[in-house]
Amino acid sequence: MNVSALTPSELGSRLKEAGLFLQAGPFITHIQTSIRSVAEGIGLLYADYPIAEETGFADFHVCLTPPGNLRRWFRPQVLFSFDGRIPFKPLPLDQAFPMLEWGMNWCVSGHSHQYLILHAAVMEKQGGAVIMPAPPGAGKSTLCAALINREWRLLSDELALIDKADNALVPLCRPVSLKNESIHVIRKFEPGAVLSREVRDTMKGTVAHMKPPAGSVVQSHVTARPAWIVFPKYQPGAVTRLEPQPKARAFMRMVESAFNYSQLGPQGFQMMENLIDACDCYEFTYSNLDEAVAVFADLKLPAP
Amino acid sequence: MRLNQKWQVAAENELLYHSWGDEFVVYNGATGDTHLLGLAAAQVLLKLQQAPADTVSLAEWIAPLQQIEPDDEFVFFIEQILTDFDSLGIIEHTQL
Repeated sequence: MNVSALTPSELGSRLKEAGLFLQAGPFITHIQTSIRSVAEGIGLLYADYPIAEETGFADFHVCLTPPGNLRRWFRPQVLFSFDGRIPFKPLPLDQAFPMLEWGMNWCVSGHSHQYLILHAAVMEKQGGAVIMPAPPGAGKSTLCAALINREWRLLSDELALIDKADNALVPLCRPVSLKNESIHVIRKFEPGAVLSREVRDTMKGTVAHMKPPAGSVVQSHVTARPAWIVFPKYQPGAVTRLEPQPKARAFMRMVESAFNYSQLGPQGFQMMENLIDACDCYEFTYSNLDEAVAVFADLKLPAP
Repeated sequence: MRLNQKWQVAAENELLYHSWGDEFVVYNGATGDTHLLGLAAAQVLLKLQQAPADTVSLAEWIAPLQQIEPDDEFVFFIEQILTDFDSLGIIEHTQL
């Protein structure tokens, strides 16, 4: 059963009482909250996701609650708890849904060392996956949102999961996080895209999340072969440019984007080595999304 | 730094290498750090893994591989590489 099978009222009740066991990629997150904006966000963006309540098992148990003090009424706030612990400072109540998204990312990146985890977007087309690592502000999510509205399958907007067993990319298909001007850029680029309500004045500015294509959600169990590593850089007015990146330098930049490379020790080095060997590496500068999409459409699969 | 002093890879370091063209990455298992090396630096490290060596003999061994003369400037270049490796804890002095 998918989330969309629940009416808004049923979804709200379930989140408030027993909690929702949400399956996203390889993880089940048990979410409890009575905050209406969180229920609305889940109902809108996770409509196509399976509910995994049968076993009662969850990888992560998270809860979003208003603090039990005067803050309940005066400039209300929200607390994120994980397994009963509170890892972050509270945020304004209006930011509850973005906090759920950030918290879910934190759960995976901090605790799932069965994978090599990179801060990167991952998309796939015709059996080859492109990995896009980038620091904040590089235009990674904007480009990712554009590509998945133009035939690419979304594996993840934030976290590339690489399986230790076979170096395959494991989907963690979740809503795409858009910030500030990117929100308007994507609304204009793809008027049919479903976006959550804009939340202003967060630590990242104004944020909104884009619903992933239903096809990507359905294929959340289908891994992909790494084929390209592209370091994107959005530059206003820049000419679209795809330039090969020396592999050893790409390796070092990938290490910088990895959450748990050090924890994995020599295995992390070997996995990164395999990844770089398997991929063609590029730097990509862009300002025009249509041109960017055309460049990605022309990428040729590297020889196996 | 004395040029005739010998260096070796620090005993506790387990190094893993991979090269693409003239650039290498090396992983130091003792520290968990990964370093990007040019060809000459990689050659220095690979030579020191085989046996301890001093700066001048390293320069004399590597210069032909680079198709250059082991002049004072090149010896200084090798000495700089050794200083960098020393500061990263990758190599150490030896009495051998």
